[in-house]
Amino acid sequence: MSAVDYNAMSDADFRQEVRTFFERNYPGQLRYILRRARWDEMRDWWRTLYDKGWIAPNWPREHGGMGLDAGKMVIFLEEMERHGVARPPDQGITQVGPIIMKFGTDAQKAHYLPRTLSGECIWCQGYSEPNAGSDLANLQTSAVIEGERFVINGQKIWTSMAHDSTHIYLLVRTDKQAKKQEGISFLVLDLNTPGITVRPIRNIAGHEEFCEVFFDDVRVPLDALVGKLNAGWTVAKALLSFERLNIGSPRRPQYALRRLEMLARAKGLFSDPGFVDRYTALQLDIEDQGSLYSQFVDQVKRGEPLGQDVSALKIWGMEAWQRLTELLVETGAEEGVIQGVREVSGVDVDFLTTFYYSRPSTIYGGSSEIQRNIMAKYVLKLPG
Amino acid sequence: MLRDSVADFVARGTDIARVRRMRAQGEDCDRALWSRMAEFGWLGILVPEASGGLGLGLAEAAIVAEGLAGALVPEPYTAVAVLAATVLSQSPEGETRNSLLRKLASGESLIALAWQEAAGDIDGETVATRATPFEGGYKLEGVKRYVAGGVSADGYVVTARTGDDLALYWVPRSTPGVEVAGETLADGRQSATVTFNDVLAPRPHTLAHGAAAHNAVETARDCATVIASAELLGVMQRALDMSLDYMRTRVQFGRPIGSFQALQHRAVDLYIQRQLASAVIEDGLRRIAETTDARVRAAVASRVKARCAEAGLRIAREAIQIHGAIGFTDEYDAGLYLQRALVLASWLGNAALHRRRYARLVLGADL
Repeated sequence: MSAVDYNAMSDADFRQEVRTFFERNYPGQLRYILRRARWDEMRDWWRTLYDKGWIAPNWPREHGGMGLDAGKMVIFLEEMERHGVARPPDQGITQVGPIIMKFGTDAQKAHYLPRTLSGECIWCQGYSEPNAGSDLANLQTSAVIEGERFVINGQKIWTSMAHDSTHIYLLVRTDKQAKKQEGISFLVLDLNTPGITVRPIRNIAGHEEFCEVFFDDVRVPLDALVGKLNAGWTVAKALLSFERLNIGSPRRPQYALRRLEMLARAKGLFSDPGFVDRYTALQLDIEDQGSLYSQFVDQVKRGEPLGQDVSALKIWGMEAWQRLTELLVETGAEEGVIQGVREVSGVDVDFLTTFYYSRPSTIYGGSSEIQRNIMAKYVLKLPG
Repeated sequence: MLRDSVADFVARGTDIARVRRMRAQGEDCDRALWSRMAEFGWLGILVPEASGGLGLGLAEAAIVAEGLAGALVPEPYTAVAVLAATVLSQSPEGETRNSLLRKLASGESLIALAWQEAAGDIDGETVATRATPFEGGYKLEGVKRYVAGGVSADGYVVTARTGDDLALYWVPRSTPGVEVAGETLADGRQSATVTFNDVLAPRPHTLAHGAAAHNAVETARDCATVIASAELLGVMQRALDMSLDYMRTRVQFGRPIGSFQALQHRAVDLYIQRQLASAVIEDGLRRIAETTDARVRAAVASRVKARCAEAGLRIAREAIQIHGAIGFTDEYDAGLYLQRALVLASWLGNAALHRRRYARLVLGADL
């Protein structure tokens, strides 16, 4: 167990310690990278965090985490974003680790948790399918019990970083007769199991980050099951609201905002009333998002559960980010559509990557339209 | 506590019928109701205890303003109890100032700040009103526009130039040479033009001059801007609730219209605007309480008003659209919220003005 009780520190001391550690140890060439970092770039940083005992800020100390409470967790994430620290392939830490702690057997905990911390197991998430995107419960990949094994057949898609992963956690259909959500189970398996094929998909930014994963008579032992059979939907849903708070952080658009401000200054656009009105409206959109974010953070710090209205952060924040990257490209004019880092009036900007990476933010983690459906139903209590 | 007593007050003391009656008669202050607001201490929230007030902060004034505006109360709470009260409380101690604050808090005198001279100028760049020394006092000459609460007021705190300095004078309405003309605003209230024709202000009626006068006016303007935003929050909350109720009950094509996704998503976007407005006011009130820097205070006020003016107008406009044709009738109340939102959004600077001002203050924009 980690010796340090970070929750006993003052917020200011904790923030300072985290900030100093990032400043001293995080590799400079990886600050503010716009795409998802690859494992071979992040391996050394993972090791640094692991050695410090900081690889799993959200895990309890008895499992080797930092055991941060919600308030300290927010500070940790804020400092990551402030310094431009990239996310390593961390779905094991953020997703499957906590799920195994809550629903796994002692054997699963003993096997997977230490290996997930050390980076021996790198996880990817097998939820979406070609016909199960927003309608996730429509998933068709099946796992049939034959003797002591599950036999898995089907296809997953939009599986981020599967080509860098060693393991996958999956939602599969284990009862075709049951109602949609009720026939689903949660499995964990090694991607080296025979019958699995991973094929990367190139995105519009030209990067290969998400993949298709095909399952062709893949046989795994029954202890691949986490939680009860046919209870996978409940298992997967156990984690959601903190994610939406994190996604709604106002610091995400900071790179684009700062670049646009520097560029506008260099080009003398702050004396152009048309530009100033649009720029200021966007800056205020993001600052006001910050005020709303703080209200939700205070709620978390008081120990109150987050309601469905936290979806507002994701909807507003991601859409504001997109508007900002649109103005960035427009301000770049002809330079704004040339690939790579461009130097314009002495300012380095990667217009297109910034623009592209704001696009899927209104699709992943529940699209803006799905979030609006959720708010209409649960917050505004409008009829179905 | 305060929120509850405001809710109780509006539930018992006012209703839409009263608002409509006053609108029809071109009145914006019922002095009996005003006295009751004084008895609760609300007019004196920002008045120091030594002058008979409660000596509380903007956060309390915001609660009162939001609650009153939600019920469309036409009485000029923010104009008097925030704008005029702050300009007085920020002026140097003196007999006139102290007695005016006391009368303002008790409801005995309805005092308005007569400061603006040109549309779209809240930074006081245009002050043509002059004060010239005359027989132990000053003579004032000039025209003040858009004076909120000015038609009902018993007297005015007036800004004027004397030499190169700005100064503040107290002028009772009954002073010879004071002329008041009202023009009807969108919500039926009156915007006053107050003309000062050789009006005599005796020396003890000089409230402040130079830096003290600037500071008093600027502080009052910024504080009132935030409280006008709280009024907009009250208006948008009610307009949104009204729209949501209508969406739950109005049936077309055999279903409540609130079940249609196009309208649901529209309603969610309005709700998000209301959340942002509420968050930015809370944040703004905290920042203003923490700062002593006038520039920071001005920037915060602009940020708050830019959001609230835009959100308030959008929610009130869309309330009309969501209600359909009935929303466009004078008989239906949705229009009253739009009319109040129009007036509040424009008063003390609209969203476009505040974005420009924020850009100048924070980004160093050269406009």
